[in-house]
Amino acid sequence: MGPAISARGVVKSFGQLRVLDELTLNIPRGVTYCLLGPNGSGKTTLIRAIVGLLKLDAGDLKVLGTPVSRVQEIYSKIGYMTQHKALYPDLTLQENLEFFAGLYGIGKQEREQRIVELLKMVNLQDLRRRLAGALSGGMYQRLSLACTLIHEPELLLLDEPTVGVDPRLRQTFWEYFERLASDGKTVLITTHLMDEAEKCRIVGYMKAGKMTAVGSPDDIKRQAGLKPHLELWLKDLEGDCARLRSEGYEIEILDGVASLRLESHEQIKSVLEIVSPLDMRLKEPMLEEAFLQLSEAA
Amino acid sequence: MIQVSLSRIGVVALRVVRQLKRDRRTIGLIAFAPIVLMVLFGYALSGEMSGVALGLVDEGGHPALRSHLEGIEDFGILRLGSESDAELLISQGRLNGAVVLQPEEVRVLLDASSLQISQAILAAAQSGAQEEAASLQKPGVVITRYLFGYDLEMMDTVGPAILGLVVFFFTFINAAISFIRERSQGTLEKFMVSPLSRVEIVLGYVLGFSLFTLLQSTTTLLVVTFGFKVPMRGNPLTALAVVLLLGAGALVLGSFLSNFARSEFQVVQFIPLIITPQIVLCGVWWPMQSIPEFIRPISYMLPLTYAGDALREVMLKGSSLTEILFPDLLALTVFFLVFFAAATLMLKRQMY
Ligand SMILES: Nc1ncnc2c1ncn2[C@@H]1O[C@H](COP(=O)(O)OP(=O)(O)O)[C@@H](O)[C@H]1O
Ligand SMILES: [Mg+2]
Repeated sequence: MGPAISARGVVKSFGQLRVLDELTLNIPRGVTYCLLGPNGSGKTTLIRAIVGLLKLDAGDLKVLGTPVSRVQEIYSKIGYMTQHKALYPDLTLQENLEFFAGLYGIGKQEREQRIVELLKMVNLQDLRRRLAGALSGGMYQRLSLACTLIHEPELLLLDEPTVGVDPRLRQTFWEYFERLASDGKTVLITTHLMDEAEKCRIVGYMKAGKMTAVGSPDDIKRQAGLKPHLELWLKDLEGDCARLRSEGYEIEILDGVASLRLESHEQIKSVLEIVSPLDMRLKEPMLEEAFLQLSEAA
Repeated sequence: MIQVSLSRIGVVALRVVRQLKRDRRTIGLIAFAPIVLMVLFGYALSGEMSGVALGLVDEGGHPALRSHLEGIEDFGILRLGSESDAELLISQGRLNGAVVLQPEEVRVLLDASSLQISQAILAAAQSGAQEEAASLQKPGVVITRYLFGYDLEMMDTVGPAILGLVVFFFTFINAAISFIRERSQGTLEKFMVSPLSRVEIVLGYVLGFSLFTLLQSTTTLLVVTFGFKVPMRGNPLTALAVVLLLGAGALVLGSFLSNFARSEFQVVQFIPLIITPQIVLCGVWWPMQSIPEFIRPISYMLPLTYAGDALREVMLKGSSLTEILFPDLLALTVFFLVFFAAATLMLKRQMY
């Protein structure tokens, strides 16, 4: 089986504005893929192009092996959660779920089972008879996610699904997405939040309609050439630093703390053979810095 | 490639019903708006019907009788060329009766459906003929013929039209607002990425709203026939069929026009454009013949013109489904089909 999504040279403009700019992207099946990028970078537009809501100006786009021009044929395999959180506020949670289940022709028994399971996952099981319009923003979001998952789609496209969801529940979401991925489903999530990206198997960084960096979070940091730093509090700052430098280490001194760039974590041991610090702290590089570096380079 | 699944249409219809059912204000409007309108229009317009519209075909011989009739203040006299003209106008409900003057005899044509007015016309003709006979010293012959026309009670013409108007108005506004919401909530975009087709969406709405149209029409018909004593000479199911077809037309028109409004507020601004002309030009409050000729083509494009006519035919004359097929049902069907196509096409245009 080919990739879940493959895009080559995809272009989409709105008037003068080139929102997707020769974008190339490959998403294998069975992964959680995070599409990360600042607001306005074209994430929503890319998702809308994937589901066939936009006419592309150029490029080649395949979804689950089907060309995007015939994507309608596989709509029952796609779960699409819009940024709007499409729901009916004047229906109850149960009625909303029943409606979306009905669109996919899910039988009554299976439907009930799915509804119970999904409401539990989004932690709304006690509010089944409540009107959706009475839910708080985060709850509304969670119900929308449940409605999107009701037909067990093979490909999930979630546009900013965790906005307004509290961190603990977010963790539950991510675990659920991870489980879906290990069942062979593909989950594409857009976000502008860096910490969410860290949780995905693959992160694609999008800027001005282009993918500027793609890989696992660790890959990305490596690509950007970012290394962990060891911060050392030393008794004899000047002397210890001179000794370390003579061994070939790069050191910066900031506010009386020595910051030493590591090529790998194994180096920590050899550093400790040279000096014995009063205290020390390991600083891992941030994904954010990696993206900044990579997108400046691009 | 258009695929239609009855089960998906049913799912959309069920959802529409659940939403409408929950909306107390709408339910109240469905039940009470027709009654309020009927009382308002019924009484506000009842004063206009005091006069008796009498046709006069004068083929000579009775100047005294003619001036007697012309002298009666309550009678509005319309001079006609032939007896068949008079018959036609009576059967259309535009005249209460007619008097045909011929040298040998006098014929009085009366509308069987309004006995009180018929009695008044007959009495006037007879007393005029008697006076004339007395002065001419020869017996006057007055022959009476009853025709089947409309009872010209104001409520009788207005009632069926109000039924049509209320259904049209309610369905149009609610459908337009619903489609605006589908768009602003993002649910429409979600449909676009689901097995639900555009045709199924619109048909689901038609089905869901039809249930409410039935409810509304039934209550309105009960009020009209029992409360306001408007006759129901035809089959009530035929009347319901007309109203359902009208409601379906209003729904697809509302769906189509929702594309040109950004908010529910803007939908309300369509009312003067869509609803008012129908009230004014549908030929209920003012007969079609009194509408200036250059505007009349518009009248013939409005669904309420045909629905009003069909309902009057069924309720007042007892016409059957086949008798109102042309032009009324045909016109309503064409209206529905045109805007059904337009509404579904516009749903597609959301994808640019
Ligand atoms: N339908 C549209 N018409 C015109 N401009 C659009 C349309 N959709 C998106 N855009 C523009 O495209 C850019 C990218 O938008 P979007 O894909 O929503 O970004 P993101 O989801 O990453 O925040 C924005 O500048 C936005 O204004
Ligand atoms: Mg977006």
